[in-house]
Amino acid sequence: MTVKVEVVEGGVPHTTIMAAGLIVSLICLYLSYLNVITGKEWFSFFGGLAVVAALIWGSHTIKVLCSYGIGTGVPSAGMISFGSGVIAMLLATKFGLAAPIVALVLAAVIGLILGYLSNEVLNMKIPAMVQSLTELAVVGAFTLMGFAVMIGGGFTFATLTTGSITILGLSLPSYQASFLGGCLIAVAFLLGAIAIQHPFNACLGPGWTQDRMLMLTAECGFLSMIMAAVMSFALVPAGAALISLIIGIIGWAYSYTKYFELSKRDAAAWLDAKPIPDVEGH
Amino acid sequence: MSAVAAKPAAGGAMNPTAMGVGIVILLILVGACYYIAPFDSRMMVLSVLIGIILGGVLIGFGVHFVPVGGAPAAMGQAPGIATGVAMLAAGGGLAGLFGGAWAAEQGTVVAVVTGGIGGGLMMAITCMMVNFIYVFGMGIPAASGKVKNDPITGDSQAEFKSQGTEGHGLPFISFVGGVIGGLLAGAGGTLIYLMLLDLYKATLPTMMQATETQILPIAISMAGMFAVGMFLVNSVLTAYNITGTIEGPHDPKFKRWPRSVVASAVASALCGVVAILIVVM
Repeated sequence: MTVKVEVVEGGVPHTTIMAAGLIVSLICLYLSYLNVITGKEWFSFFGGLAVVAALIWGSHTIKVLCSYGIGTGVPSAGMISFGSGVIAMLLATKFGLAAPIVALVLAAVIGLILGYLSNEVLNMKIPAMVQSLTELAVVGAFTLMGFAVMIGGGFTFATLTTGSITILGLSLPSYQASFLGGCLIAVAFLLGAIAIQHPFNACLGPGWTQDRMLMLTAECGFLSMIMAAVMSFALVPAGAALISLIIGIIGWAYSYTKYFELSKRDAAAWLDAKPIPDVEGH
Repeated sequence: MSAVAAKPAAGGAMNPTAMGVGIVILLILVGACYYIAPFDSRMMVLSVLIGIILGGVLIGFGVHFVPVGGAPAAMGQAPGIATGVAMLAAGGGLAGLFGGAWAAEQGTVVAVVTGGIGGGLMMAITCMMVNFIYVFGMGIPAASGKVKNDPITGDSQAEFKSQGTEGHGLPFISFVGGVIGGLLAGAGGTLIYLMLLDLYKATLPTMMQATETQILPIAISMAGMFAVGMFLVNSVLTAYNITGTIEGPHDPKFKRWPRSVVASAVASALCGVVAILIVVM
């Protein structure tokens, strides 16, 4: 029998965070379609905002899952999230405008089957397992799609694979100068995978508070957004990349200061240190 | 029961019904892939899927050999390498995958063997440096807590084991297990990559109306990303099967491998079908 070690006390319930994360990242992904409608690529930064929203949802899911001592470490949850998410996301990009919805459905199906495998075949018997792995796969797919939008300017397969290089004023199509062909997806993969698992790994323990962890997630998300914005200079016009970069830096500076304040608040309030539960690592 | 006294639930028990369901899902996925594929390339698609499943099973089985110590090993209280299963599998296996990818042009057999050697070499170096740090840095000898004598060398272990620990350091059997695990996992990861690379090289030019040379970066990138994704899925599922620490092939937890093989086969088939759908649909 598994006993839940830490209970969410107060704070926003998980379902609310899940719904908010899902809706905000879907809307942001679709807002980035303004790129296609207007013909400019100024709206790529919506991809980065989708990434932050999805990561906040995902890190809270990891908290729900890892509160049961799964014994494999928190990073493993981030790895399976992106491992299953990248597979769903790449197929979903084939569906054009429906890509985010298809990614949601496909990732949910993959996550559901993986959850069944771990709970029944591998005999984990953890109540939150199936739902958490389903959510994590969706989060992984959305995060990668958000990075794809931000770096490459769109979420369709054609945008992901085809870029253009300018030689002596002539614009030539090139498959290497693209999100997928240049394998920028590998960098996006690890930027997201680290950003999703780090907050709970850093904040877990008796002094865990929800707002501090979520603020750290936002900080990690914006930090990843800055990196992605720097990479996007290669693929989208400099103006669009600059907008992403500025939004990333502002978001990061804000969330970092807030996180610092919250850390100070929690450090001062930590009067009664409880013994550390010894369920991890058996 | 207090939360502190509770242990993770996963025991050594098999769940035959769930394994049966898993195998049925596997067969359905393989069948679905066969029918979705265009008529003239059915056998090729099917062989790609079977290669992917085989690679996934190799990863799932291989990771059981790797001595994973986790946090207790970092404090010298349990044998093994002081990190989680997923991290070790990713380190050893991805090193193998990169090694194999370099040799991809020299044929499947050479590339798979190269990948295996890459993974095994990575694990051998890791195991050796871990023992260096244990012995010369932390000042503790290598001793297993699960067996009386090392199954290979026959050395007795009990005299070297400290009171109150489950053993410490990296005994010879764990070292050998680590190398075997790296070999299998590296070969499995490379096999998945090669299968997908061949498929994408053959199908992407017609799909995107471009020459094979133009398409090569996309084929390599996609096959690599899918291989990494499947590798991580398989290694984390195996980590869930082991739940925490394992000493190597002599550990009682090693007997859980059939569960992991079924789970890895189903998960690889699922991911493989998705990876194939991207080009045949």
